[in-house]
Amino acid sequence: MKIRWNPIVKKDMQVAARSMRLSWGLFAYEAILAMAFLLAMAVIQASSANIYNNGNVYSSLVSLFPILAVAQVCIVALIVPIITASSISGERERQTLDIMLTTCMSPFSIVVGKVISAVLRILFFVAASTPIMALAFVVGGLSWGHLFWFLLTIILLSVFSGSIGILCSALCRRSITAVILSFAFYFMIFVLTFLPLLIKAALGSRSAGETPLFLLFNPIVFFEEFFMQIMTGKSLLGGAGYMFSKSDVGFITYHLTTGKAWMLVSAACILLLSLVFMLAAAWKVNPMHSSSGRKRRKARKA
Amino acid sequence: MLYINDLTKNYGSFTAVDHLTLHIPEGDLFGFMGPNGAGKTTTIRMICGLLKASGGAVRIGGTSAAVGSKEMKRLIGYVPDFFGVYDNLKVREYMDLYGSMYGMRSRDIARIADDLLELVNLSDKKEIYVDTLSRGMKQRLCVARALLHNPKLLILDEPSSGLDPRARVEMKELLKNLHSMGKTIVISSHILSELAEMCNSIGIMNRGRLVTAGRIEDVMQQLAGGKRIHIHIVSDMDTAVRIMKEQAGAAVESVRENEMIISHGGTDEEICNLIGQLIQNGVTLTGFHREEGNLESLFMQLTGGSTQ
Repeated sequence: MKIRWNPIVKKDMQVAARSMRLSWGLFAYEAILAMAFLLAMAVIQASSANIYNNGNVYSSLVSLFPILAVAQVCIVALIVPIITASSISGERERQTLDIMLTTCMSPFSIVVGKVISAVLRILFFVAASTPIMALAFVVGGLSWGHLFWFLLTIILLSVFSGSIGILCSALCRRSITAVILSFAFYFMIFVLTFLPLLIKAALGSRSAGETPLFLLFNPIVFFEEFFMQIMTGKSLLGGAGYMFSKSDVGFITYHLTTGKAWMLVSAACILLLSLVFMLAAAWKVNPMHSSSGRKRRKARKA
Repeated sequence: MLYINDLTKNYGSFTAVDHLTLHIPEGDLFGFMGPNGAGKTTTIRMICGLLKASGGAVRIGGTSAAVGSKEMKRLIGYVPDFFGVYDNLKVREYMDLYGSMYGMRSRDIARIADDLLELVNLSDKKEIYVDTLSRGMKQRLCVARALLHNPKLLILDEPSSGLDPRARVEMKELLKNLHSMGKTIVISSHILSELAEMCNSIGIMNRGRLVTAGRIEDVMQQLAGGKRIHIHIVSDMDTAVRIMKEQAGAAVESVRENEMIISHGGTDEEICNLIGQLIQNGVTLTGFHREEGNLESLFMQLTGGSTQ
């Protein structure tokens, strides 16, 4: 059976590949990562020289991976909303969305196509950064398996950021407003998932109960957990014992925070949330559902 | 072909389209006319599934598919009044993109796109970037794009707006060609002379209501101009005026040296009888003709003097 490409993905990749923006973006991405790598090497070397006084850096090189990975994740978290937040609103600004909506493509396919093309572009960036990352893996003693998991994590975070971006893009008429809104949305999710835990703590409760479960939807906590698993093989929230003991949290939370369960469930939750955002974006884009856009239509000649 | 029944669109208390009922037969080239704000674009957007109607129904052909459904979208080719382009996309890729959006296979798209680009005179521009084409070419490409999936109904919203005279002529010829091929076309335009030349039926909207619709000559009959008859009289003008004033349903509008203009809402046969009476009463005349109406005066009359 021949796999049929989503036409939006194909078009976006074609257009992006011919754009100078992609080349400059790649250059900037590589440059930032290279700088982070060199800076981290310098810091590690300096600190190793101070501690052991013999300049042996190899035992400390393992921390190169988290430094580069965090740098990558931060860049991805910045880039994806910018790409997707301007996707639907960009089609509106170019006045191509209406034509698209009169074709047989469903609004959900359009939204998914936009998110996939954003993720593919990110993968392009990630693939281009492999040589730098590989250095961290080779000298840091991490396996290729870790690189694979890291790639999956990047995809997951891209899908999540992309779905937020696309929802904001569907909500806003202007791309710049959509970009700003998507960063605000991102920040809100981060704060809101911590809020129940903070409220519980502010009320003086000794046990957090099941409130940490909200953190399953927090991509930053997910990424932290991923690092703990990679670096120590233990859970940030449970096994490592940094945050909870058995009496501190509820039954579900305690059992989820042992082993790799939290990471997997969190990944599923984040994917689910992404799907909800994409469905909401599709609902908003669908002219047969949307009740807004009234000003826009009234402004157009009737 | 296109059945619009009681279509309504309200924005709060404002009614953009007010209980519009219209039937456009298959193979017609239908011109949608109306001043700005009349509700033409709103109606077209509702037909194309780009706007949810507050009430009423739209049906195409024999299908009972809902507006906005895939089945309905397959039946419609839509050309908006703007032309959005993507940077860095060639004409061939542009056609391929929209063909695949209709679920067509690449091989079929290439074959059909070749034919359509030839039809719109763009076959030598296949490898040219879309954003470098002239506006007229872009508009023709847009028509080719709308025809990719072989829709039953082609809807064009102000296709000539912003085009230079040459591009307008090319667009008009293209639409005439499509009409001769049997396509049902709905076109909204402000350029009334253009509609008069192309269309075989028209509909005039004003303030959300369909004022009149039908075959262009039938609509013209409704015009006062269409009822005016010029009679060229050689002698006995006074008798002619007296006889006309005695006739029920006829009114003398003006009398010049050798010409009398009357208005008469009757049939051609009744007018012949009237002329016969004049002759029987000794009036010598050289001929008579019905004043031809024009779309501009009809438009102004029906829209209460609204101008573009």
